[in-house]
Amino acid sequence: MNRVQNTKLVLWLIAGFAAAVGITRFVFGLGVTTNLTDATPWGLWIGFDVMGGVALASGGFVLTAIVYIMKREKYHGLVRPAVLTAFLGYIAVVLGLLFDLGLPWNIWHMMIYWNPHSPLFEVGWCVMLYTTVLLLEFSPVPLESTSRYARVRTFLLKFRFPFVMLGIMLSTLHQSSLGSLFLIMPFKLHPLWYSNILPIHFFLSAIALGLMMVSLESLVSHWLYRRKAATHLVAGLGKAAVWVLSVYLVVKLLDIAISGKFGLIFDGSWESFLFIAELLISIIIPLLIFAVPKSRNSLAGQGIGSFMVVFGLVFNRINVGGLTMLRATGDVYIPSWTEFAISAGVVSTAALVFLFAVEKFNIWEKRPIDPQTLPDTMPSFDRASEVWLGVPAVAARTKYSLAFILSLSIGFAIMPGSKIQSQGVAEVTAQKARGGDVLFIDGNRDGYGVMFKHTDHTKRLENAQSCVKCHHMNKPLDQQSGCYECHRDMYSSSDVFNHDWHSDYSGSNIACGQCHSAGEERRAESAKKCDACHTDLIPEGTLIEVKSNMASSYTDAMHSMCLDCHTQKAPEVAERINLTLCTTCHEAAPPDYLKSEVGESLRGPYFNHVVIPGLPERTEGD
Amino acid sequence: MSKAILTDITKCIGCLECVKVCKNTYGLEYDVPRTWQKNDGLSAQNWTAVLQKPGKKYIRKQCRHCLEPACVTVCPVGALHKTAEGAVMYDSDKCLGCRYCMMACPYGIPRYDWDKPVPYIRKCIMCYPKIKNGEQPACTAACPTEATIFGERDALIAEAHKRIKETPGKYIDKVWGEHEIGGTSVLYLSDIDLGFLSYQPHLGNTPLPNRTEPAMKAVPIAFAGMGGLMYGLNWIIRRRMDKQGKKENEE
Amino acid sequence: MDALLDFARGPLFRFSFAILVLGLLRILILDIWGIIEALRKTDDKKIPWKLVSIRTLEWFVPVRKVFSNRPIYSSLSILFHVGLLLVPIFLYAHISLWKGTVGFGWPALPKLWADILTLLAIGTALALFTGRIISKTSSFLSRKQDYLWPLILVIPFLTGFICANAGVSPVLYRICMLTHILSAEIIFVLIPFTKIAHCIIMPLSQLVATIAWKFPPETDEAVCTTLNKKGAPV
Repeated sequence: MNRVQNTKLVLWLIAGFAAAVGITRFVFGLGVTTNLTDATPWGLWIGFDVMGGVALASGGFVLTAIVYIMKREKYHGLVRPAVLTAFLGYIAVVLGLLFDLGLPWNIWHMMIYWNPHSPLFEVGWCVMLYTTVLLLEFSPVPLESTSRYARVRTFLLKFRFPFVMLGIMLSTLHQSSLGSLFLIMPFKLHPLWYSNILPIHFFLSAIALGLMMVSLESLVSHWLYRRKAATHLVAGLGKAAVWVLSVYLVVKLLDIAISGKFGLIFDGSWESFLFIAELLISIIIPLLIFAVPKSRNSLAGQGIGSFMVVFGLVFNRINVGGLTMLRATGDVYIPSWTEFAISAGVVSTAALVFLFAVEKFNIWEKRPIDPQTLPDTMPSFDRASEVWLGVPAVAARTKYSLAFILSLSIGFAIMPGSKIQSQGVAEVTAQKARGGDVLFIDGNRDGYGVMFKHTDHTKRLENAQSCVKCHHMNKPLDQQSGCYECHRDMYSSSDVFNHDWHSDYSGSNIACGQCHSAGEERRAESAKKCDACHTDLIPEGTLIEVKSNMASSYTDAMHSMCLDCHTQKAPEVAERINLTLCTTCHEAAPPDYLKSEVGESLRGPYFNHVVIPGLPERTEGD
Repeated sequence: MSKAILTDITKCIGCLECVKVCKNTYGLEYDVPRTWQKNDGLSAQNWTAVLQKPGKKYIRKQCRHCLEPACVTVCPVGALHKTAEGAVMYDSDKCLGCRYCMMACPYGIPRYDWDKPVPYIRKCIMCYPKIKNGEQPACTAACPTEATIFGERDALIAEAHKRIKETPGKYIDKVWGEHEIGGTSVLYLSDIDLGFLSYQPHLGNTPLPNRTEPAMKAVPIAFAGMGGLMYGLNWIIRRRMDKQGKKENEE
Repeated sequence: MDALLDFARGPLFRFSFAILVLGLLRILILDIWGIIEALRKTDDKKIPWKLVSIRTLEWFVPVRKVFSNRPIYSSLSILFHVGLLLVPIFLYAHISLWKGTVGFGWPALPKLWADILTLLAIGTALALFTGRIISKTSSFLSRKQDYLWPLILVIPFLTGFICANAGVSPVLYRICMLTHILSAEIIFVLIPFTKIAHCIIMPLSQLVATIAWKFPPETDEAVCTTLNKKGAPV
């Protein structure tokens, strides 16, 4: 029985990764855990988990219809697993949806705020109701193990036929309404997939998918527990699937032909290849497999055929759910591993619950027995930790939990996104510096240095614990914090005003106090404005009002005068091209009197000679 | 009653005053674009943007406030609604974050707070609190060249047609948003084709909600029809089985 | 080296810390699960709750031990544990790292106290190690990991102390920091799987011991079966 245990171990591992992603998603948001964008707001979680999940769970209504409505008692043995799969499938859909919704704690709002025009509203209600119906349909199974609830059980069984009817009716609605969701996106969805009768496509394919999902699940679980596969039943379902698939194929192709989109299938774009592949995998090849009696009755044929239908039709849901919209939106969306982890994890969890239910309740006629849970097997030891693991039931528990936490931790370790890395210590606003040991810091080695008063910094940053605020603890790679990290409002390289040049010995060589008044924080806002000193550099009648010496944008570089110039000086559209150039007002080269004083070391913007159209030109020596 | 915004592309000088005032009015933070995302100007922190096209054409992008909005139709909890004044409003208390509105919008307008653990839909609200008080939206008030103006929708359409007629050859003879998908409350007058503002260049005049309406109307019919069909099928099969059983008994 | 440091601080730290928390949680859950299962099997379901809780409390606050058996060893052990627990949790530098990620912090130990406790932890660990070697009774009872643990635990404290206090060259500093981080991470990973897990198991041990004496019926047979000596004379 190692096959079951190994499978479970793998499922637990996947669930662990999903748990790591799930926690990160709820703490840090969707941005860290998905590659979704504003242009692609629905990704794998909607395409696979929700759309695919609902479609995969269609086995429940299809099989109950076959057995209870059409009275094909032959398939009675498949009803319980099918209903259980459907129930778990819907739980998984809701679980997947909780991860995808931005505000999952508001999911119940659908019950109190109604918008009956919305297809999603209808899908939501149907899923809610149908999940309840499935619970009521399935609950007699676990209830039969205890006699205490026998009366509840018989009461529930009385209503089996209405439940089955209700289940089929609700399924019809929301399986098709999943298609209606996309009716409103004719401009995004590729024309090969968009159709006015998309709901009908979805409903037909859901029936085929339901038949094949029940078959595949029966084959897989029989393989898992080493039982003989029920090939005669699967062959019967395959026969039914041939009819459904043929109808689906005819409807699909006719629909495309009538709306004149037939040429698109062969136009050579990647969508056309995708469409052909989908058609082959989901319909044509399985149709051939199940139409020929020989392959229909063979185990291999059944396995391949049912898998192709399941895979192909889930693929169809993903295609409709966003993949084929990429051309219209012009976006690139490749799901991150975290998205795959959640999808796989939700499926794994559902599978684990399924296996649990199969072993605990009478899902099949004969409950599978795990020989390792028998009491007379040897206890096992965990070599690494010298811990007695107890009897195998306990040992399995120990192993699964170990696998779970291991993959969870690895998941945390490889989580993408810088958000989950430490951002370092909190920002501290520095104040006026005063005396002490002085360091000369020239970070970018441009010759312009800063006198850094170290003791002063330590004092201000809470003395003893101050070091870590700048040194090695708050940043990777042991870098010190750059000055700018605290001194956010310091002058920067984008300034029009060159602070270094003003304070440096090779420049104007002026002391701090000459611009920054004493007793105030030395910052740009409190400093003297340029025109306080450079009285001669700004012409009379200027429009410039010096507000800031930053030029972090084009607007700043134009002295924030967009409107002044455009509305007052050059309202003519024809002239406004010239206004965008600096040289319209300034002469490109610095005037000679500046050159002679400082020579070659002069750098930065020196558009001092202003010739604004309509103003008297300033002459040398004014 | 229904208000609208008319943007004349030929008058826009791309000064971004509208963007600035919008950000200031709603306290929008700095934009941190997601690097892998195609940047089209708008984001959760940018409710309006000015796109630049060759030939110094500046096109202001914002929510179109459709007359029959797809987003309002599809929201499962009715968190979006079209007000009588014309603005499409969002109620964050109702929202459950399904992002169907983002999927349904043919212009790709609604944006999402991707980086927040409690994310909301963000988009232009046409300064609804202001227009309710009889003021005009911040952006139209800020526009220095009157490239984007606010007023009654009918009046603005008339104004647009007047401008087209008065200066023949200056504009393309079309008011974007007049009939498009049932009409929008944000209109454009342009000398270049504005097809790039939506996912397909030609959206047609059918309102998008009309496309889901037949399917939604068929819901009760499908529900009852399927029920009847299944019950009838069951009845026939049971009857046949009864007959067969009787026959076997007789034999 | 910088890349290595970055890796140790980022993914590796997340991994080891997750293993630490989840591993201990797992042990706790499995233990409680086992206790419940064992309880269900026993006939006598009475548990002397009062006694069990008193014993468990005594374990938490081991003051009485100091005055009864082996006072030096007990007091050393208490001091060792105090340093071991307080310093990593309440060090200012560690807290500010947490603040950067999760957004909240908690009050820190003053630097002087942190230094004293660090040195205390290092000193007591070494004393316990030598004690284990010298004392014949304890060396008889000791396994390899019992000798190793005090030494392993000293590494992050020592390197951390050097990094925080001594002005070493940048290269040495990096080596120290890397050792500090890596050794702490190794300890994190080992805790749930070695005897350090006693921080979680021990509080339950009194309860387990109490229940263990209530053998379920036919225990003898089960024991024989598990030992593969079914039918052999007891």
